[in-house]
Amino acid sequence: MSYESPIREPLVTGGKTYADVTRDILRPLENNASKSWWIGFSVSAVVLAIWIAATTWTMLEGIGAWGLNKTVGWAFDITNFVFWVGIGHAGTLISAVLLLFRQKWRMSINRSAEAMTIFAVICAASFILSHMGRPWVAYWPIPLPNAFGTLWVNFNSPLVWDVFAISTYFSVSLVFWYIGLIPDIATVRDRAEGLRKFIYNFFSMGWNGSTRTWHRYEMISLILAGISTPLVLSVHSIVSMDFATSLVPGWHTTIFPPYFVAGAIFSGFGMVLTLLVIGRVVLKQENYITMGHLDAMCRIVMLTGTMVGLAYITEFFVAAYSGVEYEQYAFINRASGPYWWSYWIMMTCNLIAPQVFWTKWARSTPWFIFLMSIIVNIGMWFERFVIIVTSLHRDFIPSSWTMYTPTITEFAILIGSFGLFFTLYFLFCKYLPTINMAEVKSIIPTHAHDEHHQEADHSTIEKGAAHG
Amino acid sequence: MENKNKYWKGLEELNNDPKFLERKRNEFAEGIPLEEVLTEQDGELTSNRRDFLKYFGFSVSAVALAACNKAPVKQAIPYIVKPENVTPGIPNWYATTNPETGASLLVKTREGRPIKIEGNPESPVFKGGVSAIEHASLLGLYDNERLKAPNAEGNEVDWNTLDAKITSGLAGAKNIRLVTGTVNSPSTKRAIAEFTAKYPAAKHISYEPYSHAAIIDANRALFGKAVIPGYRFDKAKVIVSFGADFLGTWISPVEFTKQWASNRKVGTSGGGKKEMSRHIQFESNLSLTGSNADVRFPIKPSAEGALLVSLYNKIASLAGAAPLSGAQNLELALNMVELTAKELWEAKGSSLVVSGSNSIDNQALVCAINHLLGNIGQAYDLDNYSLQSTANDFGFQQFVREMNDGKIDAAVFVNTNPAYNYYNAAQFAAGLKKVGLTVCTNSSMDETAMLCKFHAPDNHYLESWGDAEPKAGYYALIQPTISPVFNTRQASESILRWAGNNTDYYTYVKATWSAMGVNEATWNKSLHDGFMYAGPKASQSYPIATAPTGAAAIAIQNYVSAKDKTELQVYAKVGIGDGTHANNPWLQELPDPISKVCWDNYASIGKVTADKLGVKDGDLVKIAGKNFSIESIPVLVQPGQANQTVSVAIGYGRTEGGKVAKYVGKNAYGFGWFEGDTFRYTQPDITIEKVAGSYELAQTQTHHTIEGRDIIREASLKEFVKDPKAGNHKHAHIISLWDERDSKGHRWAMAIDMNACTGCGACVVSCSAENNVPVVGRKEVLNSREMHWIRIDRYYSFKDKNGKTATRETGLAGNMLKGKEEGLITEDTNFEDVRVAFQPMMCQHCGHAPCETVCPVLATVHSSEGLNHMAYNRCVGTRYCANNCPYKVRRFNWFKYRENDKFDFYMNNDLGRMVINPDVTVRSRGVMEKCSFCIQRIQGGKLKAKLEGRSLKDGDVKTACQQSCPSDAIVFGDVNDPNSEIAKLFNNERSYVLLEEYNVQPSVSYMTKIRNVNEPIAGDHASEGAEHGAKEHQHESAHS
Repeated sequence: MSYESPIREPLVTGGKTYADVTRDILRPLENNASKSWWIGFSVSAVVLAIWIAATTWTMLEGIGAWGLNKTVGWAFDITNFVFWVGIGHAGTLISAVLLLFRQKWRMSINRSAEAMTIFAVICAASFILSHMGRPWVAYWPIPLPNAFGTLWVNFNSPLVWDVFAISTYFSVSLVFWYIGLIPDIATVRDRAEGLRKFIYNFFSMGWNGSTRTWHRYEMISLILAGISTPLVLSVHSIVSMDFATSLVPGWHTTIFPPYFVAGAIFSGFGMVLTLLVIGRVVLKQENYITMGHLDAMCRIVMLTGTMVGLAYITEFFVAAYSGVEYEQYAFINRASGPYWWSYWIMMTCNLIAPQVFWTKWARSTPWFIFLMSIIVNIGMWFERFVIIVTSLHRDFIPSSWTMYTPTITEFAILIGSFGLFFTLYFLFCKYLPTINMAEVKSIIPTHAHDEHHQEADHSTIEKGAAHG
Repeated sequence: MENKNKYWKGLEELNNDPKFLERKRNEFAEGIPLEEVLTEQDGELTSNRRDFLKYFGFSVSAVALAACNKAPVKQAIPYIVKPENVTPGIPNWYATTNPETGASLLVKTREGRPIKIEGNPESPVFKGGVSAIEHASLLGLYDNERLKAPNAEGNEVDWNTLDAKITSGLAGAKNIRLVTGTVNSPSTKRAIAEFTAKYPAAKHISYEPYSHAAIIDANRALFGKAVIPGYRFDKAKVIVSFGADFLGTWISPVEFTKQWASNRKVGTSGGGKKEMSRHIQFESNLSLTGSNADVRFPIKPSAEGALLVSLYNKIASLAGAAPLSGAQNLELALNMVELTAKELWEAKGSSLVVSGSNSIDNQALVCAINHLLGNIGQAYDLDNYSLQSTANDFGFQQFVREMNDGKIDAAVFVNTNPAYNYYNAAQFAAGLKKVGLTVCTNSSMDETAMLCKFHAPDNHYLESWGDAEPKAGYYALIQPTISPVFNTRQASESILRWAGNNTDYYTYVKATWSAMGVNEATWNKSLHDGFMYAGPKASQSYPIATAPTGAAAIAIQNYVSAKDKTELQVYAKVGIGDGTHANNPWLQELPDPISKVCWDNYASIGKVTADKLGVKDGDLVKIAGKNFSIESIPVLVQPGQANQTVSVAIGYGRTEGGKVAKYVGKNAYGFGWFEGDTFRYTQPDITIEKVAGSYELAQTQTHHTIEGRDIIREASLKEFVKDPKAGNHKHAHIISLWDERDSKGHRWAMAIDMNACTGCGACVVSCSAENNVPVVGRKEVLNSREMHWIRIDRYYSFKDKNGKTATRETGLAGNMLKGKEEGLITEDTNFEDVRVAFQPMMCQHCGHAPCETVCPVLATVHSSEGLNHMAYNRCVGTRYCANNCPYKVRRFNWFKYRENDKFDFYMNNDLGRMVINPDVTVRSRGVMEKCSFCIQRIQGGKLKAKLEGRSLKDGDVKTACQQSCPSDAIVFGDVNDPNSEIAKLFNNERSYVLLEEYNVQPSVSYMTKIRNVNEPIAGDHASEGAEHGAKEHQHESAHS
């Protein structure tokens, strides 16, 4: 059982008992869907339909349905891909790295963050597929034994590394998430009846709550956390190598791997904040996802935002110091060329805006945090856009310089991918416990099981302290 | 030793038991229970494990085999009776002639269909060069919109009916006019003679919409010889051209380009000679020729006459001859006339002055100047004259007047389209209504054909017999390479029929030639060679009959009166020309060599004038001239365009003539007019005003300068003579992570002489034809998605206020990155004074290709011969290779470009697809493509050498771009062969590769551009760089 410091704020407030936890968290699962859920789900489904339509149109017409051209071969597609992969990073970081560092506050947010990871990676993978000229042969970059003789993939290509990185990331995240869910699914099973019981029973994999199962559960969690931790660093490092190993000025940069990882965590926390600031209110989970959580995440956002900002500035220094004319031009063009606005949106949203989190007020005002989380997401989307488009559109030979203008189809796919993400997320909220009940139960204040517990907040702590 | 031991399975065998023998015959003890399986009873399977495996194995392999058959089966039907000389897969070549330009061509046919046009290298006149229009004429053969059958008053008829109707009509006519284009064919001339003999009421008129009649008239007036002289740019050390775009569109551009280029290559051919011609151009719009000139003066069209007078007088004073009166007090804005005169005089006897004007006065001055300089019989050859344009402007003008007066009752138009390209088309159409019998042989339903009652559609020239005499004494033969695709008949034969002669045209041509004294053997040889030429005639002397004294006064009057006016000039573009071939998608998609605009014409306006009008690129303007105006036309602010002038290209704004041609651009023919005896193509006083709206022009290149980058290396001739490496000293310090590739056997490479390349674009069309490059249309060009495998980058450079070279745009990047000796392009840069460089760009086939490392599926790989291969059917279309290509030469198939109604050009119909080269894959949607160095030709060359039992020799393999280059700027070959031309060029002092510092090791090497100018270009690098370069070299060798 966790040790409660009389000075530290409790991780779960409201003096919840074990029963309260189960009841609170399973409320959306065991009752009819609320009106707000239906509204949210319907809107998401409509946006998902836009995504399906736009992606289908692209598949039917060809990549020509987008605004790409002979010079700018990637734009919205890979921007969206990197954006979504980045979003996923917070989940892994929270569940794996913070687990290893024994940060208990992660316990009430890791489930939804992991779900977010999986859904974000699904979105990202959809862009890998749809950006291909011939998506029907999308399996070719996988080194499968094949009927083409000795034909093999090109292990030199960062895109092949990407295939490995993303597929590993997705499968490990999925397993990690699922293993974490098993005890909670078992709880749902125990309280359910009929078909629901059957389904949850199937997915609970025969969980019986014995000491042995718990022991194994904790071991496998630790092992998976160990496996996931390097993934936090490797996935986005490898994604960054899609750019870093090329020779396009503005891409060809050794700083990319750490810079991309920091950016990914930054954007991931941005998205976690977006979801939780709303979710904790709608799902009435304020006592589990407390202001303390928001505060901690705001600090991480500020830290990582400053790190990417440092990277932006370092890039300029390196370009100047390199003496390579093409590099120098690429960076000056970023800040002052035709796409200057995208650069300054990025700078403002990612470096300047998060500095407000130095103030306590900013970290403790949910509506403001929500606003900031949106700004962070916008900024990080633009970061990828800036890197991809402004580097490509003016590279070595000026005769080929072009401008890139996205089409409606590309906007539809970008917006639609949020539909895909949120549809999955809403389904998750309805059918799975959004907070890891088993873990949370381990961090609620032990005195909360006293019978007179109804007072909240500090009085509880004081009381606890007195008891302790 | 044979093993005598024998083992029996049992006594049965030893005893040869009949039962045993019976069983032994059946290999399987139980037989295959196929029937049992098929008639399975009680739902119980009677087959055993072995059978199961058999069936399983069979069905898996059968399913696998069936699944493999993904592509639809297409039957290839072998010849039942194999035509003579046709072997599937083996091309046949035929020599023929393009009747429009007279160029000698070789036509490649595969299985009976022409698929490629090349130049005939044996031709002493054209020397194997082919223009873009000639290349593209191939596609005209497969134009689905050609008239497919004869037609009388709207009804399809057979030829006999049509002939009967026409001859009866002609017989009753009192005044017949036969309107043709240029006729230089001896047989056609004879047929026309028969026609006019049969119908004494008939008169033949030769009409050209963009005419050179003034040259003929001026030469008749001055020298008594009504011809276009044979210009010899190869004999001229100093070339002065007044608006004559002789490298692009003027009279015989391919021939002239060959001649001109022979004096422009320095240090590479002719034992490394270090002399080159000096080319001075006075012109209004930036033409292809002007952009290649050493010195270029932007002038107003009205100033041309005055400048010629001034030039004449300056030369006359040097020659001690009498000056023309009335010109002394004239102060010209450009004092360069003096210098030009001096240079011309120093090169007297080996210089040439030409003018593109169609004013007899100006042309008379040109004649007189050349005479003063003693160029007659040298670069200005009146004995070996040209017959490539025989227009009679006066005759046609008179014809239109007579028609309107109701005097004409029969008119026959032979492949002319005055309803579109006569300056007063409305008057022509009105007149034509009064003509009783109107016959037209135009091969498509164009503007004139729409107005005619009888259509006798002409063959395409690749379906025809015929002959031509483009240059005096140079007789060329036209032979068919395919039987007529439609029910058409060649126009000359039609004329012959109407003249009452029923000889078939082949016999007729042969008879014409035998009348010229050609025997069977010579005929056969000429047919094989494509031409017959006895060599040039010796030149005679031509005294001037009358000095052009009257011309001077008029010229000065024109100059003075137009001084403050805005002037307009119409010009022809390299691709579209006079608009005859506007329905050809290859030509529409060929970017203009200067503006890089395709699929449109526009008002080309200089920066100063545009600022005054308050217009920028894409704004619409209304241009009003005398009697004609264009309500709205987009503006292109064109560097080099003379101030206070506007240029608009002809050949656009067709209203009929095919879906490709229709409504592309605006018709500018109306700005022409008639004065003296000739059509004029300039308007001395126009008004331009901005109108509402804007229109985006489709340009394949949207950034026009090198931004100070080391992409174009150039030097002045003086610097080059002093130091052959002038401007080319920079060498990168190379560090490599990679192992060097094995370089055994062949290593294919290309060298491009930027001094010879004029940027004409013939290679672009040639490449498109050879490699089945799709046409994508205006909208997709606007999206920067043209598919051309070769492009010609065109860069401008300017001088800033302080005379420093300026290639960078103002802005943060320009200010921060510019060197000390560099200027910036600002608002007050003189955009009239532009320097142009052309750089053909195709896949560089890098030794360390950046595209190869990033492809996830190994769709683009390196060959052992130094080629960068593209395996289309392996490509998954990630486009990473294109992103990582520093030269941006990779082209992605954004759509399916064939059999797609959105790309209804030529790959959307069966006939159009006949042009596809069967040796080259047609790429599918979603794959990347790029220049392959014509790998099919490399393989073909190897195969041929193998069959002939020899090794490949230099020159056996020529890429399509190289073969068609009119200036021989492209050399291709095996650099591992030390004796090859390419190996020598790679070691030439002028040779450099682009982005050397990235160590991608391109296989394409460029030769520095050498300009024959006085000021230094390479600058300090030339002298100081020599040392520096040597040092760098040591570095490099130390490292390698």
